[in-house]
Amino acid sequence: MSQPTAHRKPSRESAHTGFMRHRGFRWAKFALLLCIACIAAYVWHEPLDGPSGGSWLGYTLGGIALALVVFLAWLGVRKRRYGSSLGTLKGWTSAHVYLGLALVLIATLHSGFQFGLNIHTLAYTLMVLVVVSGIYGIVVYAKLPQEIARLRTGSTRDAWIEELLDLNDEALKLAEPMGPDVHRKVVGSIEKVQIGGGLRRQLYGSKKQKRSLEQFSDALQQRLKALIDSAPPETFNPSATQQSTVMFMAGQLGSGDKSALDLQRLQQLLDVIGRRNALVTRINRDIALHARLQVWLLLHVPLTFALIAALIAHIVSVFFYW
Amino acid sequence: MSSVYALAIVGSGPAGLAAAARAAELGLSHVLIEAEPHLSHTIHRYQKGKHVMAEPAALPLRASVPFAAGQREVILTAWDRSAAKLKIHIRHRAEVIAITGAQGRFTLKLSNGEAINAEHVVLAIGLQGNPRKLGCEGEDSGLVQYQLDDPAEYRNETIVIVGAGDAAIENALALSTQNRVTLVNRRDDFDRAREGNRDAVLKAIEQGRLRVVYNAGVASVAMTAAQRGVITLSTPQGAAPIDCQRIIARLGATPPRAFVESCGIVFPSKDPNAVPAVSDRYESNVPGLYVIGALAGFPLIKQAMNQGWEVVEFIVGRSPEPADAPLLASKFERLPGYRSVPATIAQIQSGIPVLAPLTPLQLREFLLDSALRTPRAGEVIFSRNDYSDSFFSILAGDVFIAPNPDDVSELIPLAAGQFFGEMSLISGRRRSATVLAGEGCVLIETPRRSMNKLIASVAAVKRVLDETFLTRAIQSKLAPGLSADELQEVVASASVQRFKAGEVLFKAGDVGDGLHLIRKGSVTVAQQIAGKEMVLAYVPAGQYVGEMALLTGAARSATVKAAIATETIKLEVAPFLGLLDKHPALRDQLGNTLKSRAAANASAPQSDSQQHGIVQFLMQQGLGEATDVLLIDEGLCVGCDHCEKACADTHGGISRLDRDAGASFAQLHVPTSCRHCEHPHCMKDCPPDAIRRAPNGEVFITDACIGCGNCEKNCPYGVIQMGTVSEKPPSLMSWLLFGGTEPGARAEKALVKAKQQSGKQAVKCDMCKDLSGGPACVRACPTGAAIRVSPEQFIQITQGAD
Repeated sequence: MSQPTAHRKPSRESAHTGFMRHRGFRWAKFALLLCIACIAAYVWHEPLDGPSGGSWLGYTLGGIALALVVFLAWLGVRKRRYGSSLGTLKGWTSAHVYLGLALVLIATLHSGFQFGLNIHTLAYTLMVLVVVSGIYGIVVYAKLPQEIARLRTGSTRDAWIEELLDLNDEALKLAEPMGPDVHRKVVGSIEKVQIGGGLRRQLYGSKKQKRSLEQFSDALQQRLKALIDSAPPETFNPSATQQSTVMFMAGQLGSGDKSALDLQRLQQLLDVIGRRNALVTRINRDIALHARLQVWLLLHVPLTFALIAALIAHIVSVFFYW
Repeated sequence: MSSVYALAIVGSGPAGLAAAARAAELGLSHVLIEAEPHLSHTIHRYQKGKHVMAEPAALPLRASVPFAAGQREVILTAWDRSAAKLKIHIRHRAEVIAITGAQGRFTLKLSNGEAINAEHVVLAIGLQGNPRKLGCEGEDSGLVQYQLDDPAEYRNETIVIVGAGDAAIENALALSTQNRVTLVNRRDDFDRAREGNRDAVLKAIEQGRLRVVYNAGVASVAMTAAQRGVITLSTPQGAAPIDCQRIIARLGATPPRAFVESCGIVFPSKDPNAVPAVSDRYESNVPGLYVIGALAGFPLIKQAMNQGWEVVEFIVGRSPEPADAPLLASKFERLPGYRSVPATIAQIQSGIPVLAPLTPLQLREFLLDSALRTPRAGEVIFSRNDYSDSFFSILAGDVFIAPNPDDVSELIPLAAGQFFGEMSLISGRRRSATVLAGEGCVLIETPRRSMNKLIASVAAVKRVLDETFLTRAIQSKLAPGLSADELQEVVASASVQRFKAGEVLFKAGDVGDGLHLIRKGSVTVAQQIAGKEMVLAYVPAGQYVGEMALLTGAARSATVKAAIATETIKLEVAPFLGLLDKHPALRDQLGNTLKSRAAANASAPQSDSQQHGIVQFLMQQGLGEATDVLLIDEGLCVGCDHCEKACADTHGGISRLDRDAGASFAQLHVPTSCRHCEHPHCMKDCPPDAIRRAPNGEVFITDACIGCGNCEKNCPYGVIQMGTVSEKPPSLMSWLLFGGTEPGARAEKALVKAKQQSGKQAVKCDMCKDLSGGPACVRACPTGAAIRVSPEQFIQITQGAD
């Protein structure tokens, strides 16, 4: 029943396309054309002493590759120029991806497949590493956001941490009347909970913590079992009901019995600790996913700087020996 | 008391103080009555060091007490000094509970039983109302306070807080972090409070961070030593004394309207925003009883002080030219044949019927807020789809409305005395037609807020606007070419209907008894498909639903629900069919229009249940009233926060959006950021009228902001912050070369710093209206996750359209 909406701003893009499909794969098409043109030139061109960076085509390809490297690295500047109206950052990212892929081919053609143990091949190797780390980046950008959204199911990490603190408080409150050793254990367990941490821990989690969380749960389970075992055997009939054993025992032993109350508390405490441990796992998983989204940049960016340095050395040495 | 004052002034705010100062200066016998132990309570309770602004800058100050923009303390000290120097006769801690009598002998009854007699009374009590007190012995002792400025000031104290509303809960929670706090609740629940506060306080109680006494009243308060005392509670179990160092009572305030009405003053409408009508001498309908300041609809300090000065002049029988005369004169000078301000005002009042019922004072205020425009013949006054919302009255010449975007030669003339622009004013939506100026055209352009004030205060203006809105809506949508007279019967039978968010206008299968023209708000249209309700369309204000009922009389084919609080005009079938019988050509034409609409609906892409879920989710997030909203596709968002950084970098270091906060559904995230509502809540109560809407729809805050924080409180979506913007963003090159602050990285630090400073202003998203290329948040998103959409595009978004 709505009438066609008038467009407010002519400059607005059609909403809702990711950077890979930006403007109908505009940059993919451009990069493809560039590659085809370079391959055609390479095939057509037959220099006297075989293909190399020193022929006129070699210099041309080298020039194109250099321009691409500068353009690709410029993304780091453009993305921080927030006021710039020179295209959208999405467009820049799209161009960065496709031209970066094209760069591998163009630089390879530029080399004329002459590799050796020298500064030129070092620059080439660095470039390949930068592109490979970038490809990994594309893969995580394509996969992880959805995984994070699924993990979060509409909640946020802040809300989880809030809930975690509440569960810790609840656990302490439950542990308080259960004697100093349980209380101490709960306190210890709370102190051991770790969220995030260094990069390694962010990515892979703490093995030690996982073990200690499990150990603590196990210790509580054992205690529960001991309590159940110590109850009079004739009142215990595990097949009598589908209810949890603990609740069954609690009912059987009557409210005045101290061990029944203990059982109930212990079961509650176990529930709380269990919920908390699941939450800790989920938070750390969320942190790990976010870390994986970023970690490749720790390779991609320094390698880019190394590449630029090697490239300068490569260019200087070429012109020096010319 | 037997003596009779010439003048009693109630309330010692800027208006009342200025009146008392002028009276003292003239040697008039007077008394200034103030409920609090200090002058000007509203400004007194501003936070320490707050910068008070002096808007409107162009208006000269005319008062016997000084006032200029500056720190709260400086202003209050200057007023105290002037009051002492002029020997103003002040009665502090005196609360007037009734005013009786007539001119020459009014009697003002005080809460302590005393009475004061005066020949004239000036009411300058503002709009804040008096805080409700404990109502027991010791309620004014040093132990009890009725507000809390800075919870961080108190440490390791035992504090009792009385009340169960939002203010009490917020104070209790804030204080409980470093004090022992007991909350006293008269009832056994916190249902009066907002949901978030209710959950928070119940949690704090459960965790033992806060003690609470339910079903308890306060019986008495007694001081035992300096800053020590006992509050005695009356509970079902008996009296319960509690030792404490501080009692904070947050029991709300009594709005002044009931008191004002009890004095015999009439309000023009039930609208809570209505203010009493007063003459151009500030006299109310009760002779001798004057109303000035915020209570009379003038919330700015300078205006109020000028009125205080003037009202005393009027009372002693002089007629000074109003302070605004030079301002009006400068506005009127450009008019052809201008003679004097009063002559022009008279000309306007007689020439424009819709303005006739205004009091002279209302008209002056209206003209002060308005701009006079003399466009050349053929000039475009506004274009179809502009987002402006001002109102135009035609003083001279004529204008032409071009309702048809396809045929610009189709023009409807409007003559002098008529008005236009009411459609966007009422619906909050874009202009529905282009308007061109004719020969010798003189227009009065009035901003939305002034018009809304008028609509709330003058019933006749509201009626005329409503009827014209309806007539023109029918003319433009359903019956082009028919005159207002021919439509009169249909218009008279129409009724305005109001729906709450989620309320059903009509259900599928209902008898089609009329058409709803949406005046304000928006609706969703849904059908049952395969047992599931699916949203087919979102219909904004200015459009209509249920039109088939007019032609076929068949049962409703779809269910229509209000997406937000919505007003529709319901046209009954019978009178409309009568109209069609008289105009057979119209019947054919309308038939064709509706048929093509039906065809368009049928060919529209159908949504599936997942999409219906998304639309419903978006409506729940309040996006039904949005005009342009930032959404984030979680399937693409890599959490780089470039959107926030870009916002901060382009807006003085304060990001106006919070990416991570807010709800998500089916990978669609609604971050905390401005939606540029159709009827912006933030505009509701802005004293300097600093919140405006730009032609493209951006709701933004101008530099006139006085930092009062009303908009921050009124925004239901929490997207306005108080802060100080810094002028210079960090340099990218210096960061690259030398390190230091990265562009866009200072958002939080700047805000924390700003919070400690005074002179804060409200900041919010302005949709980067001053940047070329559109909103920076979207342009800075590397993956295309951030998008800005209008509600009309929601259905498209849910289909993952490219």
